[in-house]
Amino acid sequence: MKIFKEIIANWYSKVFYVNWSIGTAGVLIGITSVLVFAWERPWGVAGGLKDLGDTFFYMIGIYANKPNSPFFSTSSILTIGLFWGAFASALMSKQFILRKAPTVEIVKGIIGGSIMGTGAAMAKGCNIGGFYVAMSAMSLGGLCMMVGLFVGAYIGIRYLYWELEHYPSSHIQKSRKKNKTRFLKIQPYLGTIVLILAFITMIIYSQNAYTKLGGLLLFGIAFGIIMHRSRFCFVRFFRDPFMSGEADMIRTVSISLMISIIGFAILKWTGLRDEMVYVTKSFWIGGFIGGIVFGFGMVISGGCGSGSIWRAAEGHLKLIFCVIFFALTTSLVNKIIKASPELNQLMGYRVFLPDYLTYGWSLILLIGLLCFLSLIFTWNERTEKFTIDI
Amino acid sequence: MSDSIQPDKTLDCTGLTCPMPLLKTKKMIKTMESGQVLEIISSDPGSKNDIPTFAERSGHEFIGEKDMSDLTHFYLKIK
Repeated sequence: MKIFKEIIANWYSKVFYVNWSIGTAGVLIGITSVLVFAWERPWGVAGGLKDLGDTFFYMIGIYANKPNSPFFSTSSILTIGLFWGAFASALMSKQFILRKAPTVEIVKGIIGGSIMGTGAAMAKGCNIGGFYVAMSAMSLGGLCMMVGLFVGAYIGIRYLYWELEHYPSSHIQKSRKKNKTRFLKIQPYLGTIVLILAFITMIIYSQNAYTKLGGLLLFGIAFGIIMHRSRFCFVRFFRDPFMSGEADMIRTVSISLMISIIGFAILKWTGLRDEMVYVTKSFWIGGFIGGIVFGFGMVISGGCGSGSIWRAAEGHLKLIFCVIFFALTTSLVNKIIKASPELNQLMGYRVFLPDYLTYGWSLILLIGLLCFLSLIFTWNERTEKFTIDI
Repeated sequence: MSDSIQPDKTLDCTGLTCPMPLLKTKKMIKTMESGQVLEIISSDPGSKNDIPTFAERSGHEFIGEKDMSDLTHFYLKIK
């Protein structure tokens, strides 16, 4: 019995105390991205935040039409799941603490979140729906957003350096009155309860003939746990080459995307799933300009769509504000864009690469491009040609 | 081991999140001389990956870290 206890304690510590390698997490995210599409629909984050924003504005009487209930919209279920999973994971690994931040940082969270909300509305998704999934879906709009995100992240880094020179934010004073160790000790038990509640919710959905929604909640939770345990940060993909020169995130996300692209191609090519799913209407202005706007916002706030949510679930006050303002702005800007047919058209067209290049060549092009990106940024890792010195 | 380290400068990043602790560290290092020891205090769990990786890449020697309640203290020796 003692040996079993030791083995389980050892496993628990490997899963919840030791950070997962981002390489492992990248592969897991790629696989989960394909599985969730096979189950019902591709992963997305900003759409869920938009639904929650819509619901808020409807409840306070600003929107006249009743939006989808967040509990029955596939988008918001995925986003709620992401938060739920990251929250459970933070508790299980004893990392949930309300983390206060200096006022300047909170303001940056609010501004960054609002900028991201705007960018996501233009690009028809955040870095997940507009870039990761759109690229998996072989949408040219997704490629446009990737280029935009690099440009936006570059501008964001330039801004952060400028801010450090002129208005360096100070640290906060820690109040050391409360003894938090007891709360830390019970966190794994609370985390287990939070996870059990998720399974109960899944069962309730299932009994009411909403098995697919319940499943999406669990997929969201899986993404939340994977991202939190590995501290997976898509911002680093776009920012690190310019900031520190590191390219491990470039290689990780490239591999993750290759898995996801191949999986999506299999599901679409065989006709198991509709070809136009997540071929975003964002070629090219929406994707490119939206990408720049979003990229700048995510560097300012220090978390993208998904990254802000899992950090908010860990108790970072700055990112909690960021997520709230992301949801509100993306809902509003979406309304504005939808209200004007000209503006809506300006955001762009749906371009499905295989329509022009066939599936085979699209796969070769996208995978080749990712190899090229990895190669060029690994070269930069050694030479630091693109890296801006502080 | 890290109990006996006497830092020449201390950078308090309590409450700051990624990437601010790293950027502040880089900036602080510019003002320091070779052989000096910099102490960085961070409340962001992300720093546990970022600072040792940064040290490895930049050539500054990472000489230790210690956890104090929810803060972590990191020590870098400037190259």
